[in-house]
Amino acid sequence: MAYEIKEEKSKDGRKVYRIDRDHLVELMNDLKKEGYDHLSLISAVDFRDRIEVVYHLEKSSDNFSMLVVKTETKDNHMPSVASIWESANWDEREQYDMMGVIFDGHPDLRRILLPEGWNGYPLRKDYDMSKVQYVNMDEEGNDYVSFDPGDGW
Amino acid sequence: MESNLTNKYIELNMGPQHPSTHGVLRLKLTLDGETVKKVEPVIGYLHRNAEKICELDFYCDALIYFDRMDYVGAMNMELGYLEAAEKLLNIEPPERVKWIRVIMAELNRIASHLVWAGAFGLDLGMLTPFFYVFEEREKILNLFTEITGSRQETNYMSIGGVYQDFNDKIIFKIKEFLNEFPKKLDEVYNLFVKNDVFISRTKNIGILEPEVALSYGVTGPMLRASGIPYDVRKDEPYLVYDKINFTVPISKKKDVLARFIVRFEEMRQSVKIIQQALDKLPDGPFFNPKAKKSLMIRLRGEGDVYARTESTKGEFGVYIVGDGSVKPYRVHVRSPAFKNLSVLPYLSRDVLIADMVAISGSIDLVFGEVDR
Repeated sequence: MAYEIKEEKSKDGRKVYRIDRDHLVELMNDLKKEGYDHLSLISAVDFRDRIEVVYHLEKSSDNFSMLVVKTETKDNHMPSVASIWESANWDEREQYDMMGVIFDGHPDLRRILLPEGWNGYPLRKDYDMSKVQYVNMDEEGNDYVSFDPGDGW
Repeated sequence: MESNLTNKYIELNMGPQHPSTHGVLRLKLTLDGETVKKVEPVIGYLHRNAEKICELDFYCDALIYFDRMDYVGAMNMELGYLEAAEKLLNIEPPERVKWIRVIMAELNRIASHLVWAGAFGLDLGMLTPFFYVFEEREKILNLFTEITGSRQETNYMSIGGVYQDFNDKIIFKIKEFLNEFPKKLDEVYNLFVKNDVFISRTKNIGILEPEVALSYGVTGPMLRASGIPYDVRKDEPYLVYDKINFTVPISKKKDVLARFIVRFEEMRQSVKIIQQALDKLPDGPFFNPKAKKSLMIRLRGEGDVYARTESTKGEFGVYIVGDGSVKPYRVHVRSPAFKNLSVLPYLSRDVLIADMVAISGSIDLVFGEVDR
């Protein structure tokens, strides 16, 4: 194998693979071939100086036993795994929406829960919650976001 | 958009306020006549960002936001959070609490599936079963009122325990309900499956192949209706499910009708589980003294934990990261309905609009959970 995996245990006893970002897709392709055909969840955790992206994989042939893959990014870019598992599509969109992780190679990277044009990424630790944002409708009928409650009406 | 006259396909907007979208789902449809060519679900109308709110509160306070995620299956949501939080905080609930939690979660599973069946009937134009299922559900909610003090958002479980203990009167009432319920369930079941219109609207509609279902991350009754017996209660037993005898119903038919039958069979299994749990309910304390109310806000957790439980919709996962303070650093929820919804565009290619409504109804969507 061309990449290096650091193996550890999480607090609840799950097997964790830690890998650097450049070899993530390679590892994921190999894991898919190994039988990990169910991607349970993609999470991202903001540690201020870096964002850790956590993949929870399950193997259907082995009672859905779980494997955790962790990787991290300092410049908010991650390779997309949406071509390997379909479920990564919405998961990555959610993490882009909430945490601002840009998944390179994603087929359709848009916001999913918040309206398009929202300012900032709410689950980042430096998100300013004191600024209220309003969703308004323009004359065409499209939504847009502004800081002014009376704007657009 | 260009002129509709030259365009072969029509774009139609369905929802967010629509009687058959179960809440605030908006579907952007591309239609050729009455055939659906493309569906794009637009979600987020009920988004409250519960994950962020959880980060601002103590570990014990996050429970009320979980109640409000899947509001028809609130006990299962509380259970999912507590499974993760208790692991992170190193608090073990007493034995009696585990059995009580099983009983409450399974009662709520029955209530949730009943609501689904009623709403699914409404989607297909059947009004009658709706009243039958809500009568039964009301009995469960009355039990909840008596045990917990409220009907839906119960906030009953807490870290290391439950809010109130079971007494003999409650146990008697639950047993009484369980004796009556299977008969009523068969009655409701027959109302559906002996109706030819219902069968022809659901049979061979929305076929979901198991490989596709796995790739899209589908779990719960939807996956089991595609023939894969994945149930977290069996595959990674939590609480005391490994001491209880029950089967995981599956179907190999893969269609909408299979999902219906699997859910009804699950309710029958839930009855069996509750009966066993009531018989085996041990004596003992109903909370862990390490997590009594005055100490609860001082609990600190470090590390990261992912706990999965079988909620009414599928695999409900909670990922919590703690940094050693009294508040969670990050909470991330794997919402099963969110993942199950993502397969709708795949299932709805080249079907009629009415069939698409049946398919989206069979997913069991609750928007408090999809949008969080």
